[in-house]
Amino acid sequence: MWSVVVVVGFFVIVELIVQSGAVSSFKLVPVSTMATTAFDLLGDSAFLVNDLLRSVIIIVVSFVAASVLGVLVAYAMWRWGACRRSLSPYLNVFYAVPTFAMYPIMVVLFGTGSLPIIALTTAFGVVVVILNSLNGFNAVPEVVRKLASTLGMGRTQYFKKILLPAAMPDIAAGLKLCMAYSVIAALAMEFILSTQGLGHFISYSYDSFATKDMYGAVLIVAMLALVANIGLTRLLSKLDWRRR
Amino acid sequence: MSASARRRGIVEPVALAIGLIAIWWITATILQSRVFPNPLESIQKLGEDLSRSSFIGSIGATVQMLALSFVTCVVVGTVLGIGLGLSQFWTQALLPVCYAANSVPKIVLYPIFLLLLGIGDLSRFAFAFMSGFLPMFLLMVEGTISVSVLHLKLGASLRMTFPNLFRRILLPTLVPTIVTGMRISFGLAFLGLLLAEMFSGASGLGFELLRNVTQVRMANIMGEVILIAVIALIPTLLITWAERKVHSRFGID
Repeated sequence: MWSVVVVVGFFVIVELIVQSGAVSSFKLVPVSTMATTAFDLLGDSAFLVNDLLRSVIIIVVSFVAASVLGVLVAYAMWRWGACRRSLSPYLNVFYAVPTFAMYPIMVVLFGTGSLPIIALTTAFGVVVVILNSLNGFNAVPEVVRKLASTLGMGRTQYFKKILLPAAMPDIAAGLKLCMAYSVIAALAMEFILSTQGLGHFISYSYDSFATKDMYGAVLIVAMLALVANIGLTRLLSKLDWRRR
Repeated sequence: MSASARRRGIVEPVALAIGLIAIWWITATILQSRVFPNPLESIQKLGEDLSRSSFIGSIGATVQMLALSFVTCVVVGTVLGIGLGLSQFWTQALLPVCYAANSVPKIVLYPIFLLLLGIGDLSRFAFAFMSGFLPMFLLMVEGTISVSVLHLKLGASLRMTFPNLFRRILLPTLVPTIVTGMRISFGLAFLGLLLAEMFSGASGLGFELLRNVTQVRMANIMGEVILIAVIALIPTLLITWAERKVHSRFGID
C-alpha cells in the first residue's frame, strides 16, 4: 500500500520539477508526457512490429531455449560426475565475466541481425537455470532414490516422475532469474549495436535528440519488464509445491 | 576430499578448457577466414595492443573506474541496506519498489544518465554504480530482515547501545551477506561499466572493443575478451575464497 504512495510521490516530484522549469525539457520530460508518448508509440505499427514485437520474440525464444537447455545440462551434470566436475568451476564464475564483451565477436561473424543476440541472450540466461536446477536435483533425498530403484523405475521415468517435480521449486526460481537476464541481455545488445528492436529504438532516440520518444520507450520497457516479472512469478508459484 | 578427488577436480576443468581451445583452433584452421583468428593470433594481437600506450591507458581508465564504483556501491549498499532493513515500515514501503526497479533492465536507463549528468566519467561512474548497487542493497536489506529477532531482543534486554548492538550482533550476522553481495555486485558493476563505455566512451576497454568492431579486427577483439575475462576473474576468485572462509568462520552454511 505504502509502496504505491512512494511511486506516485516520486512521479509527482519529477512532474513538478519539470513543470517548474528547473530542468530543461530536453533533459527530462514530465511524466504525463512520457505516458502519452508511450501510448502514441503503442499505436504506431512500425514501432510495434520492428521494435516491440521483435524484442519480445527475441526474449521469448531465448528464454525458452535457455530454460530447456539449462534443465538438460543440469541433468547431465547431475548424472555424470565428470561432466559436473569439469563444468562447475566455469559456471560458478560465469556472471563475473561480462558476457556482452563477446557480442562484438558475434557481430563480426554473423552481422547485426537477431541470430547473435538470441545466441548470447540464451547463453546469458542458461547458466542461472543450470545452477538452480542442479541445486534442486541434488536436494532429492537419498531415500527417494532407493524407493525408485526398489520400484524398478527406469531413468526416463525417474527423471519425469521424481527428479523434475522434486526440483521444480528450484527450477522455477532459476526460470524467474532467467527471464530477467534474458530481458537485460536482449535489450543491452540491441542498445549497443543493432538496427531494430526496443533497445535500438531507445539509443537511436537518444542519438537523434528525440527525448520524448526515448522516455516513452523507457516507460514501455519498464512496464514490459514488470509485467513479465509479475506474470512469470504468478505462473511459477503454481509449480512451487514447497510453498503450498 | 581425498587427494585423488582433488586432482580430478583440477584435471577435468583444465581438460575441458584445452578441448575447447583445440576446437577453436581447428575451426579457425579449417575456415582459413580472414576474420576468424586462431588462439595464437589473438594472444599475439593482445600482446601488440598491450605495447600501445593508449591501450594501457584504456585499461587503467577501466580498472580505476571499476574499483571506484565497486567500492562505492559496496559501502553505500551496505549502509543503506542495513538502514532500511532495520525499519519495518520503510522496508514494507520501499522494498517492493526496489525490487520492481531492479527488474527493469538498467541499460535502457543509460541515456537518462547521459542527459542528466552529461557524457563523461560522471555518467559512466553513476551507471556502473547503479548496476552494482541495487543487488548489493537488496541482499543487505534481506540479510538485515533475517537477523534473528531473538538476538535483537537479547540486545534490547541487555540495554545495548546501538553502536554496541551493531558491532556485536548485526555485523557478525551480516558479514557473510556482505561478502556474497560483493561477489555479485562486482560482476554487475563491471558489466555496467563496459556497456557504458561501449555506448559512450573515449577510452576504456568497452570503447576499444567497439572500435575494433568497426574495423573488423577479430583477433584484437578476441584478445581483448581474454583480457577482460582475466581482469574479471582475479577479484572474483579472491572474493569467492573470502566467501568460503567467512562462511566457515561464522558458521553459516
